[in-house]
Amino acid sequence: MSEVPPTRMNQQIFKGKKKAAESGHRLLKKKADALKVKFRDYAKAIAETKSSMAGDAASAFFSMTQAEYAAGNFKQKVAEGSLTARVRVGAGVDNVAGVKLPVFTKYETGAATDNTSLGLAGGGKKIGAVREKFSVLLDMLLRLASLQTSFVTLDEAMKVTNRRVNALENVTIPKIEDVLSYISRELDELEREDFTRLKLVQGKKEAEVAKQTKEKENQKKHNDSDITAAFDADDDADVVF
Amino acid sequence: MVTPPPKNTPGGMATFNILHGFPEALVRGMRNSFLQDSDYHHMTQCETLEDVKLNMSESDYAEALADDTSLSPSGLQKAAIDKLVTEFKYLRTQTVEPLSTFLDFITYEYMIENVMLLLKGTLSGRDINELIAQCHPLGMFKESTMRSIPTFENSAKGYSDLYQTVLVDTPVGQYFAMFLEESADRVGGEVRNVLEEVEIEIIKSSLIKFWIEDFYGFVQKLGGDTADIMGEILSVRADTNAINITLNSFGTPLNEPAMRASDRKGLYPAVGHLYPAGTAMLVDVSDEDELGRVLELFPQYSNIWNIHSAGGGEKSIDDAFYERDVQMLELAFESQMHYAVFYAYVKLKEQEIRNLVWITECILQAQKDEINKFVPVFSHHAPWRMTKRR
Repeated sequence: MSEVPPTRMNQQIFKGKKKAAESGHRLLKKKADALKVKFRDYAKAIAETKSSMAGDAASAFFSMTQAEYAAGNFKQKVAEGSLTARVRVGAGVDNVAGVKLPVFTKYETGAATDNTSLGLAGGGKKIGAVREKFSVLLDMLLRLASLQTSFVTLDEAMKVTNRRVNALENVTIPKIEDVLSYISRELDELEREDFTRLKLVQGKKEAEVAKQTKEKENQKKHNDSDITAAFDADDDADVVF
Repeated sequence: MVTPPPKNTPGGMATFNILHGFPEALVRGMRNSFLQDSDYHHMTQCETLEDVKLNMSESDYAEALADDTSLSPSGLQKAAIDKLVTEFKYLRTQTVEPLSTFLDFITYEYMIENVMLLLKGTLSGRDINELIAQCHPLGMFKESTMRSIPTFENSAKGYSDLYQTVLVDTPVGQYFAMFLEESADRVGGEVRNVLEEVEIEIIKSSLIKFWIEDFYGFVQKLGGDTADIMGEILSVRADTNAINITLNSFGTPLNEPAMRASDRKGLYPAVGHLYPAGTAMLVDVSDEDELGRVLELFPQYSNIWNIHSAGGGEKSIDDAFYERDVQMLELAFESQMHYAVFYAYVKLKEQEIRNLVWITECILQAQKDEINKFVPVFSHHAPWRMTKRR
């Protein structure tokens, strides 16, 4: 507080700073609220997806068991065949209230579906069912992965934003306000000083004037014999024609 | 006048026991090793796999499972298959011709699968040792042959070399020859193209088709009860394959009108009740309704088809086929002096292993409501036995 000279210019400067800080604070608060809303949405979506995935995963693996019962061990046949990915994951970026969140999307590479005739001699339907169930599971898995990474990033961003909001609220703005109030106090005091000084000077001046008139009065009394002293050049108004 | 010596029909009653009495007695003894209804019942009540292991310690599987410290469905499957292989090998060493050829025929089915696995795996560049570890133990052939498969180059000449030297020696080589001939007409290409373009399952189905036809011919030559019973079993097997291939080809490229006549037709075996009229009709079938109509003409399959079309939830067509197969194979044990008991034994053991894996998986995945969906072997509660009693 002692480093800022209490001038009017500084007062203007600091008023400007306070305004900037307050508007920044408002904006950041809005951002924090938006992030909070998105955060809650994501949390809900994740909880839903996870609970439904438990059931899906169980049924997918069970359909695998059923297919193996019907068609024998086809795992090796799939593994020994050529493995080209038919589905790939693309990473994209989503912008939420200024925060960049990673998002995963599914791409079909269009590679030929190998092993379509896998269960030809038995259990083909069951193998088809396994294929479908695991595709559904894959979709859910992608969504869950996307949601969870976004959730973590969002969490970080929210923490940072909240920290900034709190910092502005509890540190910067009070500091500026302190400075401003100091400046205005000092300015007031300077004014008061000036005022007091003026008053004193005025008082002194009046005292002097009173003294002078008193002296004049005294002189007037002493100069009764002197007739001409009674007549002053200034007593009569000038005759102006 | 001297009575001529009895004709040596191996399938015939008179001379059977001389040569094959001991193996048959062995197989009938092994029939007792199947799990009973009570065993299945106890196992389905188990909560964990440890309980299952406890239950199995009283059955025939006790020694097989003694090594595994913790039981898993795949470990159980491996142990059970190894046990079956040991028993089968023992049987095989006790047999003479022609029963030994018969038993070899049984192994050809697994050999075909192993050969396909090795070839396809080599094409994709997998390590030979991993592939060998995954082969079905009943269908192993000479180690040297297997190891030499990946040493051939990945080129056209390499493949024909591979075929000439290696596959020809294996018993299944002849099926390969027939397959390559057939596909050479269609694809018009060389060995390599065929192996790469045609999917592994289709090659395997063609090879199985040739195997069934070959087996059927062999069995008919044997004559007697073997020809009757085994012939029936093989016909039914051929029909099952034909129906399954047709049913499962819907929705795959095999169902295109162009492919149907050329490719799918070639997968239907030339034996069985559906041949020739039924298979000719099956060639044109393009969806399930048409398939249903074709099967209406064959009463033994219309029942099974109705189960399939009635509902997918409870029972599927595979379950219906399994049930019917188990019934036929059990009947094979009811008569004597023929070879079909050996085939029946192997197949029924397979079904039992399937059941065991199903039960343990259900327990592991906590799907207790589905656990009873298996087909028990030699069960007193089998539906066909119950109706007979009434």
